[in-house]
Amino acid sequence: MLSEKAIKQVDEIIARYPAKRSAVMPALYIAQMEFGWLTPEAIEAVSEATGVPKATVKGVATFYAMYKHKPIGRHLIQLCTNVSCMIFGAERLVDIIKNKYGLEAGGTTADGRFSLVIMECIGACGTAPAMLVDTDFHENLTEENIVKILENYK
Amino acid sequence: METILLKNIENPNSADIDEYIKAGGYRSLQKAIEMQPKAIIDEVKKSGLRGRGGAGFPTGMKWTFASSDPKTPRYLLCNADEGEPGTFKDRPILEKNPHLLIEGMAIAGYAIGAEYGYIYLRGEYPGAKDILDTAIRQAYDRGLLGDNILGRAVRFHLSVHQGAGAYICGEETALIESLEGERGQPRIKPPFPVNVGAWSKPTVINNVETLSNIPYIIETGAEAYSKIGSRDCPGPKLYCVSGHVERPGVYELPMGINLRDIIYTHAGGIRGGEKLKAVIPGGVSTPILPPDKIDCPMDFVNMPKHGSMLGSGAVMVFDDTVCLVKVCYRALRFFDHESCGKCTPCREGTGWLSNILGRIEHGKGRDGDIELLLDVAGNMLGKTFCPLGDGAASVVQNFIRHFRPEFEGHIRDAGCRLQN
Amino acid sequence: MITVTINGKDIKLEKPVTILEAARTAGIEIPTLCYHESLELYGGCRLCLVEVEKMPKLQTACTLYVTDGMVVRTESEQIADARRGILEFLLINHPLDCPYCDKAGECDLQDLVEKYGPTAGRFAEGKRKHPESFDDPIIVRNMERCVMCTRCVRMCDGVQGDSAIAVTNRGSHSFIEPFSGGRYNCEYCGNCLTVCPVGAIMSRLHRHSYRAWLVETEVNTVCSYCGVGCSMVIQVRNNSINRVVPRFGLGINNGLLCVRGRFGYDYVGNEQRIKSPLVKKGGKLEPVTWNEAFNTVADRLKALRERYGGSALAGIASGRCTNEENYVFQKLMRCGLGTNNIDSSARLGYSGAQRYLENIFGQGVTANPIYGIANSEAILIVGGDPTAINPILGLQIRTASRNGARVITIGYAPGLERFNSIGLKPRIFTEGILLSGILCEILKIKPFTGENQTLESVIKGLSLRPAREIAEICRLAEDDIRKAAEAICNVSSISIVIGQDIIQRSNGNRNLFMLSSIGYMLNARMTLLSERPNEQGTIDMGCLPDMLPGGRPLEIETFRKRYEGLAGTEIPSGPGLTLMEMVEAAEAGQIKAMYIMGENPVFNLPDSNAVKKALGSLEFLVVQDIFLSETAKIADVVLPALAWSEKEGTYTNLERRMQHVRRAVDIQGMEDWRIISEIGKRLEVSMPYNSSEDIMAEMVRVSPLHTGLTYEDVDKGNALWPYKGEPLRAEMPSLSLSDENIIADKGKLYLMVRRPLFHSGTLSRRSYALNNICSEPYLRISRAVAERLSVKDGDVLKVSTVKGSLQVKTKVDISLNDSAVLLTNNFEGMGAFSLLGYKLDPVTKAPGIEGTEVTIEKGKPR
Ligand SMILES: Cc1cc2nc3c(=O)[nH]c(=O)nc-3n(C[C@H](O)[C@H](O)[C@H](O)COP(=O)(O)O)c2cc1C
Ligand code: SF4
Ligand code: FES
Repeated sequence: MLSEKAIKQVDEIIARYPAKRSAVMPALYIAQMEFGWLTPEAIEAVSEATGVPKATVKGVATFYAMYKHKPIGRHLIQLCTNVSCMIFGAERLVDIIKNKYGLEAGGTTADGRFSLVIMECIGACGTAPAMLVDTDFHENLTEENIVKILENYK
Repeated sequence: METILLKNIENPNSADIDEYIKAGGYRSLQKAIEMQPKAIIDEVKKSGLRGRGGAGFPTGMKWTFASSDPKTPRYLLCNADEGEPGTFKDRPILEKNPHLLIEGMAIAGYAIGAEYGYIYLRGEYPGAKDILDTAIRQAYDRGLLGDNILGRAVRFHLSVHQGAGAYICGEETALIESLEGERGQPRIKPPFPVNVGAWSKPTVINNVETLSNIPYIIETGAEAYSKIGSRDCPGPKLYCVSGHVERPGVYELPMGINLRDIIYTHAGGIRGGEKLKAVIPGGVSTPILPPDKIDCPMDFVNMPKHGSMLGSGAVMVFDDTVCLVKVCYRALRFFDHESCGKCTPCREGTGWLSNILGRIEHGKGRDGDIELLLDVAGNMLGKTFCPLGDGAASVVQNFIRHFRPEFEGHIRDAGCRLQN
Repeated sequence: MITVTINGKDIKLEKPVTILEAARTAGIEIPTLCYHESLELYGGCRLCLVEVEKMPKLQTACTLYVTDGMVVRTESEQIADARRGILEFLLINHPLDCPYCDKAGECDLQDLVEKYGPTAGRFAEGKRKHPESFDDPIIVRNMERCVMCTRCVRMCDGVQGDSAIAVTNRGSHSFIEPFSGGRYNCEYCGNCLTVCPVGAIMSRLHRHSYRAWLVETEVNTVCSYCGVGCSMVIQVRNNSINRVVPRFGLGINNGLLCVRGRFGYDYVGNEQRIKSPLVKKGGKLEPVTWNEAFNTVADRLKALRERYGGSALAGIASGRCTNEENYVFQKLMRCGLGTNNIDSSARLGYSGAQRYLENIFGQGVTANPIYGIANSEAILIVGGDPTAINPILGLQIRTASRNGARVITIGYAPGLERFNSIGLKPRIFTEGILLSGILCEILKIKPFTGENQTLESVIKGLSLRPAREIAEICRLAEDDIRKAAEAICNVSSISIVIGQDIIQRSNGNRNLFMLSSIGYMLNARMTLLSERPNEQGTIDMGCLPDMLPGGRPLEIETFRKRYEGLAGTEIPSGPGLTLMEMVEAAEAGQIKAMYIMGENPVFNLPDSNAVKKALGSLEFLVVQDIFLSETAKIADVVLPALAWSEKEGTYTNLERRMQHVRRAVDIQGMEDWRIISEIGKRLEVSMPYNSSEDIMAEMVRVSPLHTGLTYEDVDKGNALWPYKGEPLRAEMPSLSLSDENIIADKGKLYLMVRRPLFHSGTLSRRSYALNNICSEPYLRISRAVAERLSVKDGDVLKVSTVKGSLQVKTKVDISLNDSAVLLTNNFEGMGAFSLLGYKLDPVTKAPGIEGTEVTIEKGKPR
């Protein structure tokens, strides 16, 4: 079950829409915050809060790439490798992260500090290559500055 | 040219409502609610504004369709999904000029008789989410949104609906599905959203940039507005330039400006004086152009005549160091990743194309692979449910059309000469 | 009028339909895969592409609606290429395991590829791999074979309304799965199996034993489980049921089935079937010849009749037996044994309630077509969950809800929770009071019409409690009561669906009166839920102590004389005993012998330990059944009956539609009617039958209701009586509501019987399939009770009442009210009725089983 506070939040969101079902995506974000990732319990909680059947909620949750279906680290690195970033060496940045932190795309470091997700275009092509760490944009990445940036996240 | 869409954004507090009002903001809304809704729509029609989301559909016409459907309530949706690779033109509006969008939406809502609006914001813009939420709260506080806008019996409520990483949700019917809490897969058309849209009610969906044009049109009038840009496609346009240019970034320029000018005049030309190899003029889905084909007016009407499309105005510039097989492969991996899976040709075809391209790129190409690519792409083109699948097929076709020798070379040499 | 030209042929249409439908009406075939006429349009597979003039691209015929003057071509080189291309896409990840696949021979993909498909494979990449999933006891899922047409999901979501499966992930990773990823844990209707065009979702029951071309015969018949009477096709191979399937366009269920119908048929092949007649010798049931059994029964019954008179004998008929069997049975009792002591388990709710309503409104008042429910604008549901009791009827309510009908549920109806507009959960046992409150609100809105003056005067004479008081008694919000009344008031068509839970009350007749009054004020159609396939038939065949075949009152001389004339014997003129009265009379020593056909009272009647004692004290007990039930075990003679798939006859469903039950396999034993006639002959009753059709021929002469009816009429679907006759016994109940006592005390818990979806009486416990889905009872408790006892799903609890106690696993049920706990009555040694006492309703004579307090404590793990 969701916490009382979260249920209240979901109810507030429900009120914005003409149909309760629209709250599924926001509720999934909320449940993801509460449970850390979308555990089966988290999905059941969303189902209960929104009245949408749980299989259906799972179908929705797994359609979107940004919901998490396994535990993630304290900090989420979302690195773009789409065309504009790729031509400026985004793939080499993936290697650097791998070498420095032993972190594979889609994985989490053993100490639970970072998870790495390869992204499609994140809308920073003019300042490519770019990544999001948690909710912060970092642009104009280079082989030199990327580790320095990541070191700010403990 | 005066900037309209990016006005004032160098001001570090440009997202704040006071700064926006100080710079003349919300005057247009004031003016609009003293007009008849129909008069607003007429003005927008007269302005010649076309949707900036990619398809270039006349905005006034869309509004007329929705507002003449008797079903109520009606809804106004802002498409802020900006997912087309290479595109980052809506982001500065969302992050630095949110009130321009809010004002545009309030006017549009009033014009079409929609009392509820939603901004469908891509999940990849978490910063914009906070900025928009704050801006919306400010607008409510000032009576610019809510039940009695500017003290009148005009009602418009607005909130942000956050996507979660699905390019297809930029397609308008998939966006609606997603807003309704479903998997973001496109719906059968017809009926069109203007008649049967969100929650089965008449719905207008417009791009961020489209809606951001509205305040200016209302304030200065359609006539003044239509003097900007080309005759077929008036108004300012945001072009986002990325890749190997000296000054990548978002440029607000008149519609119809020459592609070469964008690259060489505004973006400073090819970086380091290298040689231009190719340009994708409107986002990954639009046909790639070789250097000798870039003298073309960048608008919805003229680009098709020059073998490409304006798309989202995302100009991607590649110099000689770029392996286009690799770009093509990366683009197809994108389509494969983003295919929603609803229709057979796209679900199966994008993966197949991407596999073959991957093979070629990694030196495992075979004789006949190029024909196979073209044939598979041909089996997709025109047969998919929505334009995403068409886009994937046409990317392959156009890369091969203009750069076939490079593909042949990869197969012959079992790999890429530019790398390794 | 719209004219569309397809392949040069002009097609005229009344209203716009899709190109596909237009083409089909003209006999033009367009290949499809994702399209299904019962499902929402999808347009995903892209196989149905056609050329439409003036449209630049190919269009999907299944989604595009024709417009006047449209010109379409369905065959061309371009189209053939497109189809080939699409089929190639479908095949690149599809395993080529047709020889191994159970779908072979009836696989749409196989057929399409054969007809339109590509020739050589040129897909050089690795295929998608998904191991076959055997996590579910009943359903095998093979996602490698899936073509993503999503027909199963649209069926589950949009028709069945269970939403137990969904497409997960995206693009080429799309996958169809239940929430758990393994076991389905759904309603197990299996309707997804029907619509899967390939071998991706299939039943495990006939895995690798079913091949389309090995089916020897197909027999159209009717399901043996509930009163809806779904049509189904039994596919036979080697003289046994290979598979049971529904067919679109066939029967009231039109292609759908519920779990019991689809998977529960295997009880007929259960090894524990009784194989020969048994007679108790030296305290043990021993196999004997048929002749010995017949003689024993006839001799003993004759002797007992001579000694004690016919009134000391009694018979229990069965809602699971055919009309013909029930007809012969009542004839045996009345003419052979000289008694009107004849009743059936329909007495537990259905028959008493129907009689009550018919006395007010006239015969046939509840005989309303099931499909009418889906077309209602409002539906009031009281006393049971139709989606569990009569699942296919329940679907009509879900459909109505999707179409915007207002659905009001009163009480426990978890299957409608997502479909109701208002769900009222009054404190247990106060449903009747709530109904009076709703009536009171309706009276404020609706004027009397004067149509039924007698009823109106009773209604006017009621002193109804004000809503505020009712809200307090029922522990509901006053406003909700008002809203519920308003919701059903101003609609043009309303259905009231009534379940047993409010009939099985010692004051059930009052609940029925309230419903009658509401129904009258709103001009509603009324439907009674019916748990057995032929409860209506037991009534119509005269298996009632006071009614002759055709629903004719016994005490009306003209009817009785007519019956006697045809039978050639006199019968007693006074009514006999009802079901529970018989048991009580047995206990009191007034009933000496009983003949029980197809019923298990020792388990199925409340206070079942007392029932066992009563029946055990009889001088002679005959049980005719297919299994050695709790009741058969204590019988003196056991006669092996035939199962549903082995016999020929008719059932009458709850809308009073007579349907043909057909023999699908050769039989070992003897037809039930033949058994009875053999006994009848020995008792000098004329029973000159050679087939069930002969019995029907006699029955239609006796029953004025069925005059002239033949099997041919039945097969044509003409045997339906939705008419409203005059009340044959104009009795108007007199009511005083002021003495309504409210049973439930605060803080106490009461035991109620839950009518589950996966089981039906004691028959389904012999189904391997249904037992695999659900093998034991669960005590359902509310979340609040669970928290109070700090127990969770699966914990073992000890439930005790004054009648006894049981150890049961528990399940937390969020649909449940805090004052009740629920237990099903299906599993051997675990019957809810062993814990329940009862008090007869004086009017309907249904046992009122309310008010049994329970205590619950944590039990020992079993
Ligand atoms: C696959 C696909 C992706 C799209 N993505 C976007 C998008 O990210 N942003 C957008 O504004 N329009 C996008 N569109 C276009 C929209 O469907 C729609 O045309 C647009 O929102 C209409 O707004 P406009 O009239 O203001 O251009 C996309 C279309 C397709 C087919
Ligand atoms: S083309 Fe088909 S599978 Fe691809 S995104 Fe559109 S609907 Fe989905
Ligand atoms: S049948 Fe028309 S798209 Fe599948």
